[in-house]
Formats: sequence, C-alpha cells, structure tokens
Amino acid sequence: MRGIVALLLLALLGGGARADEVTRGRYLATVGDCIACHTAPGGAPFAGGRPIATPFGTLRSANITPDRASGIGGWSDAAFDRALRAGIAPGGKYLYPACPFPYFTRARGEDIAAIHAYLRSLAPVGNPVQTDALPFPFDIRALMRGWDAAFFRPGVWHDDPAQDAAWNRGGYLVEGLGHCGACHTAKNAFGADETRRALQGGLLQGWWAPGLTPAPRTGLAGWSIDGLVAYLRTGSGGGQLASGPMAEVVERSTSHLSDTDLRAMAVYLLARPARTEVAVRPAPTPLAGEAIYLDRCAACHGRAGEGTAGLFPALRGSAVVQAPRPQTLIRVVLEGGRAAATDAAPTGAAMPGFASLLDNDEIAAVLAYIRNSWGNASAPPRPAQVERMRGSPG
Amino acid sequence: MRPEALRRRDLLASSAMALVLAACAGPASLPPPAAEAAPFFTAEEAATIAAAVDRLIPPDAATPGGREAGCADFIDRQLAGPYGRSADLYMRPPFAEGIPQQGPQSPLTPARRYRQALAALATYCRNAYAGQEFAQLPPAEQDRILRGLEAGSLHLPGANGHAFFELLLANTMEGFFADPIYGGNRDMAGWRMVGFPGTRYDYRDYVALHNQPYPLPPVGLAGRPAWHQPA
Repeated sequence: MRGIVALLLLALLGGGARADEVTRGRYLATVGDCIACHTAPGGAPFAGGRPIATPFGTLRSANITPDRASGIGGWSDAAFDRALRAGIAPGGKYLYPACPFPYFTRARGEDIAAIHAYLRSLAPVGNPVQTDALPFPFDIRALMRGWDAAFFRPGVWHDDPAQDAAWNRGGYLVEGLGHCGACHTAKNAFGADETRRALQGGLLQGWWAPGLTPAPRTGLAGWSIDGLVAYLRTGSGGGQLASGPMAEVVERSTSHLSDTDLRAMAVYLLARPARTEVAVRPAPTPLAGEAIYLDRCAACHGRAGEGTAGLFPALRGSAVVQAPRPQTLIRVVLEGGRAAATDAAPTGAAMPGFASLLDNDEIAAVLAYIRNSWGNASAPPRPAQVERMRGSPG
Repeated sequence: MRPEALRRRDLLASSAMALVLAACAGPASLPPPAAEAAPFFTAEEAATIAAAVDRLIPPDAATPGGREAGCADFIDRQLAGPYGRSADLYMRPPFAEGIPQQGPQSPLTPARRYRQALAALATYCRNAYAGQEFAQLPPAEQDRILRGLEAGSLHLPGANGHAFFELLLANTMEGFFADPIYGGNRDMAGWRMVGFPGTRYDYRDYVALHNQPYPLPPVGLAGRPAWHQPA
C-alpha cells in the first residue's frame, strides 16, 4: 500500500514537472516566435508550409508538430537540440539559416529541451511539406557545410559578470531565442549576418528593419526603457507604432512576454554601444514636398511631424523615417500600413495607401521633405526608387 | 385592370428595381477617370455649349465664367464616357411618364439628348437669326433663348427644350464644382469662389479659430499647382 502511494506521488510529481516544462517551453517558443514561420496562412499552427522569400529563392517552413511521418514526432531531444543549436537535422540534413539556428545556438540546453517538450505536447498534424524548394545550386544542402564553417559561430550565451541580471537576461533573449538580428542586422552576400554591424538595421523582404542601437538618428537614442517595453507589449510606444513584419512579431511574440523579460530586453538594447553615424546635414526640402505633406499627411502626422500617441506615428526623430535605405518608407506610402493589434491596444490603427493618388515624383518629393524636416536628416529618395517599389516590393 | 392599379404596380416594380440597383452599386470608390480619348461634341456643338455655359455662369471680376472654368470640357468628357451612355442606369422599356420624384425617365441617354437638342437649337437659331449659330449671337440674344427654354415658352423642333435646359444647367454646375480631375472647375475656380478647401482630411487645427479666414488653398484629388513647383 505504501509502495502504491509512493508510486502515485512520484507519477504526480513527475507529471507536474513535465507540465511545468511544457508551460515553460510554450513561453520560450513564444520568445522565438516559432509559430510565425512554421504556420502557413490559414494553416494549422506549427504545421509548416509558409513560403519564406529569401534572396536565394522561396523556402517552405517545416512541419514541427509531433506527426511522425510529416513532422518531427520521431526526433529525440538530442536530435532536436542539434537541429536548433547546430543547424543539422536528423539524417545530416543541414538547415538553411532562414531558421535562425545561428541565434538559437546561444540558448541554453534546458530551454531548447523545454521547447521540444512543448512541441511534443501538441496534437500531431499530418502535413507533408516540400522543404527543399530552392533553385539550383542552393538546393544542395551540403553547401551549408561551407556556409557554417565560414559564418556560423556556435556556442551558448555567457553571462557577463560585470553586468546586472536584467542586462544578462536581456542579452540572452535578444541574441538568442528572440533572434532580433535576423531582421535588424544587415546581411552579407551569402545571407549571413554582418556581425560588425550587429543590430544596426537591415533590409529584408523589401522592409528596412531600423537599427536597435542607441544611435540618435537611425536607432533608439530617443527611447526610454518604458517606451520600448510599451512598444513591445502593446505595439505602441515611444511615439511609434509597430507595423509591417514587426506588427506580426508584437502580436505573436513580444506582447505575450513577461514585463521582466521585456524590460530586460530594453535594458540590454539601450546599453549597447551606439552605431557610429555618419554626420548628415539635412538636404534642402523641396517646396513641392512641403505642399504635399501639408495636404495629404499633416492631418494625421501633424504639421511638425509630431504624430498622435497610440494612433499616428511621429515622423520627427523616427529611425524608420531617417533609415539609410528608404524602402520601408516608400512601401508604407504606396501600400499603406496597419499597426499591430494587441489585447492592450486592440484597434490596429491603419494608414491608407497612396499608390493611385501620388505619382513617383510626388512621393519622392514628400519623402525628401519628411526625411529632412523638424531636425530629421537623410538622403532624399529618387523617383526611380519609388517606381521599383511599385513593381516588386519584396 | 384599372389604370390606378397599373400605375401602382409600375411604381412598386420601379422602387424594387431602385433598391436592387442601389444595393449593386454600393459606395463608389473608382480610380480617377482618364480623359476620354475622343471628344463627344462636334466643333459647332462645342462652340454652342461653351457659349451657353458662359451665360449660365457668366464671368465677373473675381471669378472666371463657365467657359474659362472648363464646364464645356467637363460636359464633353462626361458625354463621351459612361454617363453619356447611361452605363449605370436600367435602360429598357417600359418607359413610363414618371412623377417628378422619380427623376428622368427618358429612353434617351444624355449623349442622345444633347445631340438631339443641340441639332434642334442650331436649326432654331439658323431660322430665327438669318443663318447664324448660337455662339455667334450677342449675349442678350443667347440669354433670351436660354430663358425661353427654361420657362418652356421657346419650343425647339423635335426636342424637349425645357428638359434640355434643366440637364444643361445641372451639368454646368457639376462642371463648375466637381473635382478638377474631371475637366471642369479649372484651377479650382468654383471652390475658390465659395471658399471650399477641397479634399482636405482634417480641420482640428482650425475648429476653434472663429471668424478667421481658413489659410490653406484648396486642393483637388490630383493635388494643386504647388505640388509641382521646382525645388
């Protein structure tokens, strides 16, 4: 009798421990935003099949539900860990860095195991995905062996004893599972991070992800820790609204994270060295640009580019507005945009597209004005750049 | 069947049709129309309309008249386009004599009504003024003719002169106040006259400023001249 009670207790404790690990794994999978890439539009969560456009062709994300035939149901903990932290899936299949294993390698083993426990707790979904869809020669996955040798620096994150707990937790999340640099760090010709320019801004799929260093014009210099936390929690903070790909990140990932973790990420980002900015003097602002701004933009964004908190992003001092590459700016003017909709800020304010209302010269003129007014300074876009974005934003 | 019953049935049928059409049309959100390539009016028709719109909206010291504001061009483009073809109207018989609240019930498209009435007006002018065209008459005579059409006292051979006047007056006013992308309201003359600021979105900065002129110039769907000034 006593033996049976002890067994039951053990089972309960064991089950509780597993439940804890699954809960922790769900949270960490949210930090990594696995669901974003591994869910096709309208498809079952984590069942893969989402097309991912890269400069080398379009990939399809894998099914990571525990289906044995089409998912990762047959993987051991060790195999899952090797895939995420070494970029090599069972059968010696080298992963493309579209799956951000160069970041996940910084995560601790117990965290990777927790994510695996969570994924194993999901219902298996049979959804075979052809993940080898890149054109020749990029379909030869063995090429990734050379890529890994050249660019992949495996190794777990090490806390810096000189820094406090918040900084270290923030660094662990930003540089690891959060994989912020996947978008916010520029890529070289091989699609690898330019590590010397880490988190200084990058161009991906026709969007400029602004710099996350505390640089004055092109980064986070004007931001407070509270502003960044609010931005990541609600999609709205620091006078800015998350839109485009960042809206998805906020909706699916950062809005669900703990305040402690968001604060830690903000502490870490704001404490990193600022990108050294080339001194740029404001270009002369075209009178036509000012007239168009007054007639078409000022009603929402304000006569002085000040915006309205929570509704219309400020253009004055904005890193997106002053980005070295104007792609995001051109794209938003052409297509319009929609801000993230979160529990805390459910409206998701929207901007209409101006593609049929403004021609290329007019868009170039108004952007030249916006990029060089109220203290902003950055190169005026050319009408030909606007024309290119009309054709294929990606 | 008694005549009243028939009329009521027609009325019910046409209201049902109006509801269906309204439901189909929905809110209009069409891209700005391009100018129709081929003009509708012949040279003589165009001269007549240009003269007539300048009598309906005569120029004064502050504001250009209908001709300079492009009302004739506006009407020409409208008649050459879907409006002229009654493209968005149900145009099959029976064509009952409608009550005034039912709007125009003519089997003729606006383009045909203009063509018919302008031909009749030309015949009338040649007969009454020794071969002269409407556009060649002194303004006082043009006014006399237009007043006669308006009052229904001047009859055109083979056309409803009063209905034509009503149509022309409505289209002229549309041309004077519609957005400049449609060819009229040139330089936003109509908007400047009444102080309409055009397609602006928001007036929060001015709502509380009473008894002060609004400082910004009018802007159309395609902008305003200041949009294209050199840097």
